[in-house]
Amino acid sequence: MKVIAVIPAFNEAERIAKTVRDVCPYVDAVVVVDDGSTDATSSLAHVGDTIVLTHRVNRGQGAALRTGTEAAIRLEADVIVHVDGDGQHDPTYIPALIRPIANHEADIVFGSRFLDEMPIGIPWSRRALLYAARTFNAIVMGIPRSVSDPQNGMRAMSCNAAVVIRFTQDRMAHCSEILRLATRSGLRWIEIPVCVRYSSESLSKGQKNSDALTIAWQLFMGLFSS
Amino acid sequence: MLIQFVLIAVLLGAFGMTWTRARQRVISLREAFAWSVLWITAGIGIARPETTTVVANFFGVGRGSDFVLYGSVILLFILVFKIFLAIDKLNRALTEVVRKEVLKEFPPHE
Repeated sequence: MKVIAVIPAFNEAERIAKTVRDVCPYVDAVVVVDDGSTDATSSLAHVGDTIVLTHRVNRGQGAALRTGTEAAIRLEADVIVHVDGDGQHDPTYIPALIRPIANHEADIVFGSRFLDEMPIGIPWSRRALLYAARTFNAIVMGIPRSVSDPQNGMRAMSCNAAVVIRFTQDRMAHCSEILRLATRSGLRWIEIPVCVRYSSESLSKGQKNSDALTIAWQLFMGLFSS
Repeated sequence: MLIQFVLIAVLLGAFGMTWTRARQRVISLREAFAWSVLWITAGIGIARPETTTVVANFFGVGRGSDFVLYGSVILLFILVFKIFLAIDKLNRALTEVVRKEVLKEFPPHE
């Protein structure tokens, strides 16, 4: 079974090499999508046989993930794993993400920060916002309330699921879009607990609380796009 | 009043320009008629402001000028939204172009 990790990265020169090195032992290949970085992300991501794809201009995390996923499909991956480039995701959870797909128990496996292990260093405001996002997803997006984590970028999917789930949100709204598509597609999906480490660096560079409005707007605009 | 003369002169100019462009086949006859209806309606509203009050009263708005203002806000909102949609479409097209360039070296999955 060929497992390919897709890592989107934008200006992650300080962290990308470590992230790739940490992920490598758990997968057969790594595809890093440098999303138009202005630093040395692209050159530093070349660890071992890592495939590095470069967007000429910044198109957003969702777009980079879609590009990497498409590349993984073309490289004949059996399972595609999404991991953030900033090192927040603990790659030791990758085998647990892959296992239900390998055992034909699920087509897509979402990591969740709120099942067993609580996120390390998560601010209370972020926790409250994620709770609100979960309610928004349920009421507005029609995503089952049973989905415990509305914005987790760590997930694994079979190649067939990746073909079915053709997410088109270029920026931050792709998480909700993937959840919506997956839970409405007839694919078998489950959540498993994963641990996410919040550091001052990742919090300053990652999503802000105010991004919630942007995500809601992007999802709204997405309703009008074919 | 002076403002009425100025606005009606502008509308007459727009009306003339519309039909000049229609004769030059820059816009279709249908478009020219649609624009003409807009210019004439605006002209009536400016020349006889009390007519807007009649329409305003029909919609439950007290003054004609208020009705025109509300209508303008709604129209502008629609136009801005259409611009947002156009930008969104352009962004998606740009992403596709960027992605196609990146994936050139990978053969499509059968």
